[in-house]
Amino acid sequence: MIEVKNLVRTFKSGDRTIKPVNDVSFELEQGTLASIVGKSGSGKSTLLSLLGALDKPTGGDVVVDGVSLASLPDSKLTEYRRRDIGFVFQQFNLIPNLSAVDNVMLPMEFAGLRKADRLQRARDLLEQVQLDPSKHERRINRLSGGEQQRVAIARALANEPKLILADEPTGNLDEQTGDHIIELLSSLSRNHNTTILVVTHDRVLANKTDRRFRLQQGKLTEEPVRGRAVAATA
Amino acid sequence: MSVLARSVGNAFRNKVRTAAVVAVLAVAIGLALAMLVANQAVGAKVQELNASVGTVLTVNPAGGQGFEGGGEPLTAGQAATAAAVPNVSAVVGTSTLRLRNAAAAAAQTAQAGQTGQPGPGGQTGQAGPGGQAAPTLTTSLTAAVDAGTLGNRNQQANGTTGSTGTTQQPVRSLPITATGIGAEVDNTGKALNITQGSGLGDYSAASTGALLGTTLAEKNNLTIGSTFTINDQTYTVSGLFDAGTAFGNNAVYVTLPTAQTLAGTPGELSSMIVTVNSMDNVAATKAALQSALGTDKADVTQGQNLQTAVSSLDSVKNISFIAFIAALGTAGLIILLIMVMLVRERRREIGVLKAIGAPNRTIGLQFVLEALVLAALGSAVGAAIASFASGGIASALISSNTTTTTTTGRGFPGGAGGGGGFPGGQGGPFGGASQLLSSVTASASPGVIAGGIAAVFGVAIIGALVPALLTARIRPIEVLRGE
Ligand SMILES: Nc1ncnc2c1ncn2[C@@H]1O[C@H](COP(=O)(O)OP(=O)(O)OP(=O)(O)O)[C@@H](O)[C@H]1O
Ligand SMILES: [Mg+2]
Repeated sequence: MIEVKNLVRTFKSGDRTIKPVNDVSFELEQGTLASIVGKSGSGKSTLLSLLGALDKPTGGDVVVDGVSLASLPDSKLTEYRRRDIGFVFQQFNLIPNLSAVDNVMLPMEFAGLRKADRLQRARDLLEQVQLDPSKHERRINRLSGGEQQRVAIARALANEPKLILADEPTGNLDEQTGDHIIELLSSLSRNHNTTILVVTHDRVLANKTDRRFRLQQGKLTEEPVRGRAVAATA
Repeated sequence: MSVLARSVGNAFRNKVRTAAVVAVLAVAIGLALAMLVANQAVGAKVQELNASVGTVLTVNPAGGQGFEGGGEPLTAGQAATAAAVPNVSAVVGTSTLRLRNAAAAAAQTAQAGQTGQPGPGGQTGQAGPGGQAAPTLTTSLTAAVDAGTLGNRNQQANGTTGSTGTTQQPVRSLPITATGIGAEVDNTGKALNITQGSGLGDYSAASTGALLGTTLAEKNNLTIGSTFTINDQTYTVSGLFDAGTAFGNNAVYVTLPTAQTLAGTPGELSSMIVTVNSMDNVAATKAALQSALGTDKADVTQGQNLQTAVSSLDSVKNISFIAFIAALGTAGLIILLIMVMLVRERRREIGVLKAIGAPNRTIGLQFVLEALVLAALGSAVGAAIASFASGGIASALISSNTTTTTTTGRGFPGGAGGGGGFPGGQGGPFGGASQLLSSVTASASPGVIAGGIAAVFGVAIIGALVPALLTARIRPIEVLRGE
């Protein structure tokens, strides 16, 4: 269960203050697959970074299973990111001089998994995201954008997080591979009770989620999915 | 993939830059190691020299110059004064005589214009500060030192020719030093190494016993109990000693009163050998002794060219140590700057590691290890540089610091009697500072190199700690910032 309470994030750019996240509140039950849509520059990535404890809000709080992130010291936030969060970055943010497998193993290394277990799991995950086994050992900077994106997704799943925050996870994928990733994510939410929040421009993906939010001028509103009308909680 | 493997990988990420960094580091580390090696080698030499200089001071009459003498002789009263100086543990008076073979002396006197042949110590023209003129007495003994070479040189200088090994040349006989000693020590204050027979017992009483150098006894076919004469008085060989040098063994020791009686100067001393209670007090005691006796009455000396050698070596030691520290600091600084640069460059990547849950210490450790990889490579190349360069660096340091010393270096003050014990400055055991210094061998011992590399790693860790701590300040949100 994740509760977002009156979240605000402002940036100063010159003498102007921009508020990409301006008093956003919502709740997600564990196991929900939700999407956030919105124009470019509307603040989707900013909101995700606040939920993933990459950034600190200017105001408001995020409460995860009853624990307020605002109350946690940095070391606990690091642990939160390592154990509870799987982040798929819009820019992938893989370590360029490491292989695909090594990148996927990194979060497991930080979590203290044994090396043999890490390797096994990393290979399994790369297979799940349909990365050709011949490319598992290949260095990231020799992989295509779509391949990198799938490595990034595999890395996000590495520590079996409670909450996956995926910023445009299918942006660089062809339709077929994109569909597979969507299927993978929804099966995680259904079978592993993983909460998944996906930022997407993809209508098809947005319509396959349990809930759909729109971020507009700093405000979050919920939109109906698959013809089901759901009351906005913003 | 472990932190270490990642660090090693990162160290080679930009191979050209890594090579450049390693090259610069290697120069600094190589210099540091070479300086350390030089420092150790010189330090060892200084210790060795200090030990050989020992705690002995020699007091000679002021103005005395070798056998040629001069100055007021020292007295028993001055010995008492010296003994009263703080930290003086012993004062031994000596009285030096010069013995000539009776037959040879007779022949030599017959030679026209042949006066005052300089003692061997005078050969370099730089005799040490000796005692007053040593009286020359006749003896039945024949000098043990091969007069062939030295004798020839003396005579050539005097315009006569000498041929080795012919008895027709009586002048080839050299003087034998007879020293009256107040204790069982040689004329440099070292305990006599008696190899056969026994000592003279009470050195403060006249006796007819004498100690002979091994080679002198051999030359004259004397053994324990044999007799010989000095000025027609008969003496008995009570012991043989080995001074370790040919000149040192061409000597006779008798008790102090015996020598004083023989010289006809009772109560007078040619020199005093003053032992200081500890090495640390030598310098202070030397000054105190000098002022107690008066500069116009006595010269207090300590193995002088050793002292200057030691002090110039000491300065080499200091310079090399400072250079070691400076080079080490430079290596640390290079690592610091490189790592700061790397941290800035990988800001975003550090953000990624934090975003996926890497603890600060893991990231810090990764950077420290990366710095150590660079330090290890630099050390390997640097050690190779040092092993080639340290000998040259050490001798360059030494020669540039000691040229003045070596040119002013005087012959070793051979205790009483000037050069009686040593063949002047031309290659004796303490011939000159240059010789001592050239024996400093700056070989790169593995232990010293290992110690130096340990220091390099220490500095590398310190240098890397700053950037590693900087990584802790990078926030995970850096991951979202564009490159
Ligand atoms: N560190 C920052 N400093 C100043 N402005 C920022 C910063 N980070 C984001 N912004 C601004 O905040 C706004 C929201 O950015 P954000 O990246 O969240 O948009 P987005 O919805 O993810 O856009 P896109 O769909 O293009 O990825 C943008 O106008 C951006 O310029
Ligand atoms: Mg974005």
